[in-house]
Amino acid sequence: MSARSIQAVNPAVAFAALGLLVVVAVPFAFILLQAIFPELGRGSLAAPFSRLADTLGDVRLIRMTGNTILLGLGVVALSALIGVPLAVARALFRVPGAMLWDLLMLVPFMIPPYIATLGWIMTLQPRGYVHQLFGFNLAPFLLSVWGIIFVMTLNTFPVIYFAVSRTVEAIGSRYADVGRVFGASAWRAFWRITLPLATPGLAASLLLVFAMAIEEYGTPAALGRRAGFDVLVTGIDLRVSDWPIDLPGAAILSLVLVGLSFGAFLIQRWILTRRSYQTTTGKPQTIDKRPLGRWTLPVVLGFALVAMLATAVPLLAILATALSRTISGGLAVSNLGLDNFLAIFTDGVGALRALGNSLSLGVAAALFTGLLGALSAYAVVKSTFRGRNLLDVLTILPNALPGIVVAVGLILAWNQPWLPVTPYNTALILLLAYCCILLPQPVRYATAAFHQVGDNLEAAARVFGATPMTAFRRILLPLILPTLLASMLLVFAVATRELVASIIVAPVGMQTISTYIWRQFEQGSVGLGMAMAFVTILITTIFPLIVLSLLGKRGGLL
Amino acid sequence: MMTHTIRAGLAALNVLAMAGTAYANVTVYTAGPASLIEQLAAGFTEETGIKVDFFQATTGQVMARIEAEAANPAVDVLISASWDTATDFAERGWLLPYTSPNAATVPDFLKSDTAVAQGISALAIAWNPTSGTPKPAEWADLAKPEYEDLVNLPDPAQSGATFELVAALEAQSGWSLFEDLAANGAIVAGANAEALNPVLQGAKAAVFGAVDYISFNGQQKGESIEVVFPASGTVIAPRPAMILNWSKNQDEAKQFIDYMLSDAGQAIVAATNLMPARTDISANRPLISDLSILAIDAEAVYAGRENTLAAFGGIFGQ
Repeated sequence: MSARSIQAVNPAVAFAALGLLVVVAVPFAFILLQAIFPELGRGSLAAPFSRLADTLGDVRLIRMTGNTILLGLGVVALSALIGVPLAVARALFRVPGAMLWDLLMLVPFMIPPYIATLGWIMTLQPRGYVHQLFGFNLAPFLLSVWGIIFVMTLNTFPVIYFAVSRTVEAIGSRYADVGRVFGASAWRAFWRITLPLATPGLAASLLLVFAMAIEEYGTPAALGRRAGFDVLVTGIDLRVSDWPIDLPGAAILSLVLVGLSFGAFLIQRWILTRRSYQTTTGKPQTIDKRPLGRWTLPVVLGFALVAMLATAVPLLAILATALSRTISGGLAVSNLGLDNFLAIFTDGVGALRALGNSLSLGVAAALFTGLLGALSAYAVVKSTFRGRNLLDVLTILPNALPGIVVAVGLILAWNQPWLPVTPYNTALILLLAYCCILLPQPVRYATAAFHQVGDNLEAAARVFGATPMTAFRRILLPLILPTLLASMLLVFAVATRELVASIIVAPVGMQTISTYIWRQFEQGSVGLGMAMAFVTILITTIFPLIVLSLLGKRGGLL
Repeated sequence: MMTHTIRAGLAALNVLAMAGTAYANVTVYTAGPASLIEQLAAGFTEETGIKVDFFQATTGQVMARIEAEAANPAVDVLISASWDTATDFAERGWLLPYTSPNAATVPDFLKSDTAVAQGISALAIAWNPTSGTPKPAEWADLAKPEYEDLVNLPDPAQSGATFELVAALEAQSGWSLFEDLAANGAIVAGANAEALNPVLQGAKAAVFGAVDYISFNGQQKGESIEVVFPASGTVIAPRPAMILNWSKNQDEAKQFIDYMLSDAGQAIVAATNLMPARTDISANRPLISDLSILAIDAEAVYAGRENTLAAFGGIFGQ
């Protein structure tokens, strides 16, 4: 009886449930209602289910769904191919310049996907930067399915790199060494012991990459239409932006997307709950990394190649465009200048206010999703609360919701005339949008981390009289904090540059970094947009590093 | 520690919320360009003291927001980039009839009981003179071998004006021109700005149906781009401004329309390289009277929109 009543009032679980209700369940419920009731936007519940048949019966839906799955799996496979070997090398061996590589692998996160894509187009198209410098172009490759997978992979593989390297580092060589003692070869010990133990981190990051790939709009929109490669997100966008606006159709297609992501989630959960991955037992552990020996050069070359493709090329393309007075002037010394950068600081207050808005929203979103993410993951993994599976489902839902649909759901939910107060048309609605879209990141990372923390640690604290909240705060939170902090920095980076939802729900008269950049592109001022993008990438890269050093942690934390 | 974090977070939220709160008198939703609405809003506030809160995006995104807000609409004045919006909204009975005293010199085909043009853009060939190709004069020129693989078309599904151009040319001479273009390697490349960008860098030589004012703006910045209006005719895209009948600030909305059509407002329109709606305002660019306009039966064209887009998509392998 007493144990039950303690669980019933566990404040961590209650806060997680409330937060998920406001941030995820409310907008999702309105998307669901919109799919069922086509007239919902006008406050009418007429003709329920009337749009399901024709939307789901559309012949293009099967092709778009197939393309979406192909794209998601392609990006996951290529990201794993690049991310896992680098991560294992980084975690188990002494890689020369490890800190530098970590930093260079962090930058692709900070480059908005639509900017990176535009950078690649301007680099690889005929008379692009590569053509101007080296006399050849790779347009046919870029404007194909492989080009889309390639560009998106360069943006997403760091998720796998950081998750796996951290997980493998935490496992260390200890377990594999036991295998070696019993006669296993180094490879066998790695494949049979270390890699399986790293499953939580690997599975969580693969799931995130899959969801990011099927939900991403900018790259398929810019490259896919030219390659004749339609995916669900571009189909949804067309329904939302083409008059007459088809909100019910977009909502129904979004549910298909959510279904795909949910399927991936079930697979990941099945893998994680099949067995125990607890390696953090409270026993002391030495971190001794081994020398690479004759593998030093190939490994360093591998890191250098990936860093060049993922970080150097997009950054240089962005910088070259930002420094060009005109696009048609090309890479000539006479055409270079700081005009675009000066324009950012002289353009009234528009650009600087956009920067300020996005950076504060990014910090707020990171703090809120970090807190809610940790509590939700705790409620799902460590509590025995009966609705925890429902909470787990809620944390995964936004993973596959396209930004534009989250935006519509938020407007439908918060613009009801009977609401006494509403966050709509204030900056809070942007914060809600960012939290909804990005919550899965901290939750997935924290869930993976909690799976590796032995239950006996919390039990020990409780035996010594700690309340559930104290045990959470003093024992569990510090253990998962490095992982959680990494995901919060990711939220900060992505929230400061989120484009699709920002355009639709931004309160009147308010600009964010991404809407500012987008407006420059719309008006043909590509250079000014790229200058703003470059400044943003610098800030979002340097800011987390400052935070980390202030907290006394090293960059290796990521 | 946690309560402290929450408290700090709430304080930050409050500051943010304050920054975004609207104390405005008139709310304007407008399709681009951003600099135009910024200047119109500033000029209007200076003249009347009424503050303007505006939301600027593409026509499609503006429509999506209005549709999602329908239960509790906020918009007073809507400026679209497609006249079709004005027709459609009038049919739905969403518009407030208003004729501005300043609209006297706006030609009849650019105004109705419920809408009046803010400015007008036209479609043209945007051509890069450093592309090593001869200067095109006609739409059909771009199907010639000199322009093989060097032509971009904006997507008619994403650009209303491009759709009208496709429909008008198709009504005039069938699909053969577009079949020739596709056979010549022309590709459909996103919305207007996306189609122009490769031409500036030189990956392509010309845009078939570029929005003229964006190209003129590029020219002013020193980009190597020329705007060619084919003598056989092109289409124009008047940008209708309208007052929504649910507006609670109808007087202010009317004043905004008046200001937009005043000498000062129309001069701002002309400065962004759009054609002013009033014929008695000069501009540093060709005006409607200088262009040959293709006839278009809007009702029939928009009734057949799905079929036209499907046929177009089939030709360009979409």
